[in-house]
Formats: sequence, structure tokens, C-alpha cells
Amino acid sequence: MAGQPDLGRADLVTMLADLSGKPSAEVGARIGSMELAWLVHLVEQRHDRRLDLTDDQLAAIRTVDDALAVFRTALTAAADG
Amino acid sequence: MTTGNPAATDPIWVDEILLRGRSADICLRLPEPVDRGSLRRLVAEAQTRLAAAGLRPGGAAALRLPPSLAYVVNLLATWRSGAQAILLDHRLTDHEVDRALQRLAPQVVVAPIRTGGGGLRVFVDVTEGVTAYADRPAVSGHAVIQLSSGSTGPSKVIGRTADDLVAEVHRYTRVDGVALPGERIILLPSMVHVLGLVGGLLYGLHAGVELVPPQRLAGDAVLAAIAADDSPATVLGVPFHIGLLASTRPAGPLPQFRRMTTGGELVPAAVARAFADRYGVPLGNMYGMTEVGVIGTDLHGRHRPSITPAPGVEVREVDGELWVSCPASPYVGLSDPTRWADGWLRTRDAGTVDPGTRLVTVRGRLDSQVSVGGLKVDLTEVEATVAALPGVAAAVVVFDGAVTAYVQPDGPLSEQTLDELLAERLAGYKRPRTLRLVDQLPRTTTGKLVRSVDALRTAAT
Repeated sequence: MAGQPDLGRADLVTMLADLSGKPSAEVGARIGSMELAWLVHLVEQRHDRRLDLTDDQLAAIRTVDDALAVFRTALTAAADG
Repeated sequence: MTTGNPAATDPIWVDEILLRGRSADICLRLPEPVDRGSLRRLVAEAQTRLAAAGLRPGGAAALRLPPSLAYVVNLLATWRSGAQAILLDHRLTDHEVDRALQRLAPQVVVAPIRTGGGGLRVFVDVTEGVTAYADRPAVSGHAVIQLSSGSTGPSKVIGRTADDLVAEVHRYTRVDGVALPGERIILLPSMVHVLGLVGGLLYGLHAGVELVPPQRLAGDAVLAAIAADDSPATVLGVPFHIGLLASTRPAGPLPQFRRMTTGGELVPAAVARAFADRYGVPLGNMYGMTEVGVIGTDLHGRHRPSITPAPGVEVREVDGELWVSCPASPYVGLSDPTRWADGWLRTRDAGTVDPGTRLVTVRGRLDSQVSVGGLKVDLTEVEATVAALPGVAAAVVVFDGAVTAYVQPDGPLSEQTLDELLAERLAGYKRPRTLRLVDQLPRTTTGKLVRSVDALRTAAT
């Protein structure tokens, strides 16, 4: 993955903390469309590739853990492809 | 209490103010260009469909469409039919929409039959359907009805007349620093809400400014939209979008990038600095409200966080609250005199007006309204919704950087159940990001719920 370490939950929480200006410990588990767009954007920047997620994939993401699972799958697929 | 029901306006304003101009001029790039001639033809065709479904002059059409060419076309077609447009954010739930429709009784509802395009699209490819709803005239003569998250439970209904919209479009033409004819606006805010609707769509159509939504909501897509043409580009957005750009590495110089302008909420100084360091273009700031549109601007970023009142707008400070000139009550039906009276709208924003420079500084809200990604959310509406759910004994909703709900159940209740119930009742941007179930919410000695974040956090641990 372009020399990047595997994406972890803590990475996503740090990204959300940057967005909200709150400490990581206070980041909620649920994410809305704006937080999701922010995470996709930053994960793409970090890994220097597009995730190309579908509307259905995005709509199924309700929590940080959901997002992590979908991003990992997309990054693996992109690396394989 | 007074009632505000202005007379409807002759629909000729749509042609004179918005659709006039050379047929070959490009109005929108999606990215396929849509010229003015094509737009006029699409609007006329949509008028035929709306009329066939039951829309008549003096009636209303509810538009429940995501940002799309279909939205633009049906909005203009509604107005050109001499009817009122009720704008329903496509993120609202069926529950919220049903409540609005029952209250506003439009003759027709326009909603997607099919939507296409990849994830995170800013503009969506929509095939719309028109269905008859009620056979009644519009609730008022306003050209547009918008809903705002309301402090007393259901949404506030805000109406604006065609004359008021036209006056705001003309106000934009007199503001130094807006995109000029022949230039482009990279359009990020939703056109259902006032900044994207008037500052983007209506001003762009009037002034001959191309409207260019990025292909998707990501920093690289915004930069690609800027780079797609040589003409000067202004990025219009909310503070969230500044963060997107500030965290994106541009592939090369962007000489056509002239300015970024945001409204919706205050921009943290660190975010503004990060943006300036990366792009070196002015970061403009706008202050406005759904009720009156743009109130003031600082498009050169010289007075941050203060703004100069827009031409023709008066702002004054009364007991620490900002009041703005507004000739008629913007509220449909009964108007609350504590919100509007005698030509002045109480903004509920704390702020100051410098008597010498007239510069206005907004300090924050005086009520329970917060901004989530530029969208107004009233915590009282969220709290009332949570407290009314089955299985909930009491709830307190606070904003601690995000919407957080503390919930006292009156029986077995899981976070997941709560989450699912809320998803049926509240649009995503209004929903709490954190739900905390507590055995007993803290109360004062007189039994009132305590709203201190510290006390709530202690109760939840």
C-alpha cells in the first residue's frame, strides 16, 4: 500500500478528532455523511489512491468500525487490482 | 402574533432575472455543459409534466430531490408556472417529509424514481417522477418555502417572496469579490439551502457565471474542477470544505483559482491559516440566514472574523443580539413577535456592530441552534425527538463538538434500537454522533434536567 502501514481504527479516530477539534477519546462511534466524506478523502490522500466506493457501500456505513471494514476491503481490492 | 401572507409574484421574473441571455452560454457543467437554450427547453418540458400532474398557478410543488439537473429544472419550472416551490432536503426522513407535506399540502411532489452516479457525488444523475398530492392552493404567496430545524419540535416554515429573492440576487451583484460574468463558481453547498440556492444557483444564472459542481466530494475533485478550464474560479462552500482543500496536495499551480468563499459557521483560525499557506488565495467569509439570505460579507478575508453588511442590509446590535433589517415577516402563518417585529429580524446570534466601521462580528448562538457542516440543527428538536421515542424516560441533547444524546431508558433499551428509531425520524445530519444510556440523568433539586456537559459525562461513567 504505497509504503503505508495498514489502516487501523485509531487512524480513523484521529482523522475524526481533527475534523471536530475534539480529543480522540471523545470521538463518537457514529458517523454521518460529512464525517464519512472526510474519512474517505483523508484515507485516499494517505494511500494515494481512490477508493471508488459505491452508494450502497457508503450507505451501509454507520459507525467508525463499519468504515474501517469497508476501507480495508477497498484498499485490498485496489492493491490486488 | 401576526400572519405573513404576501401576494404571489408574476412568474415573468424567472425569464427576466434567471433565464435571460444568449442561448449558447453555458450555465452548468455537470461536467457535460448545459447551455441556456437547453435549460429553457428542459424547464418548459418540466412545466408540462408538472401541469399534467396537477400543478396550477397559485399552487405549490414540493421538491424532494438531491442536488441535480432535475432539481434545477423543476425549481425553475415551478416558479415559471406561477407556483410555490417547497424545498425538502433529500436527507430528510420519510417521517420528516410526511409531516412537512401534511402541513404545506402541495399540489404535486417531485421525487427521484432513479438516481445514479458513484458514491460521494455532489451532483446526482436523477430521473424524477411527479405525483399529485393535494388539490389546494399554496399556503402563502411566497415563491419558496424552506424548512429550518425548529426549537419547538417540528421545523420552522420560512417563506421568501420572488421580490425578496430577486433583491438578494441584485445584492450579490453589488458585493465586491463575487464571481463575475464569464467566470466560474465551483459549487459545493446544497442548492436547497440559502447559500447554494441564491449565492450559487440564482446569482450564477443571473450573472452569467458557470456553475460547476465537482465530480465528487473530495479535495482532489474540487481541484480538478478548478483546473478543468482557464477561466477564473471561485470555490463556494462551508468551512468543512476548507478543511478538504487544506488537506489536499495540488498536483501543480492553479492560476485560475481566485478565491474560496464560505458561509454557515465561523472558521477556526488554524483552518484558515492552513488553507492560506497551501493556496495563497483569499478566503472569503459570508454571514446569512435562511430567512433573509446574505447579510454581510468579507470576501477578501481582510476583517476575519468580522463582516461588512451587504448593500441595502442594515444590522444593529440590541442587548448583545444582532438584528437585521427584514421588511416582512419571513415566517409562514403565525409569526412570533419575539423573532420578527416592525421590520427587524432577531437573528438569535450574539454579536457586535462597530459604530465607526459598521463591521459586524458574530459571536455565536444565543439559542440551542448549532451548525453541522453548514446545516442548522436545533438541539431542542433533536432532544424532543429522542425524548418522545418508545422506551425513553428522559433525554438531554448537547453539543460538545458534535451532537451528543444522554438517554435515560424506562426499561430495556439498547443503543442499536435507539439508533434505528432515530434513523426513521431524523435526517442523518441531525442525529446524535454519540448516544449514552444512563440509569439516571442528573437533575437539579427542583427536578429539572441538568445540561452541564461535565455533569452529564460524570453520570454516564
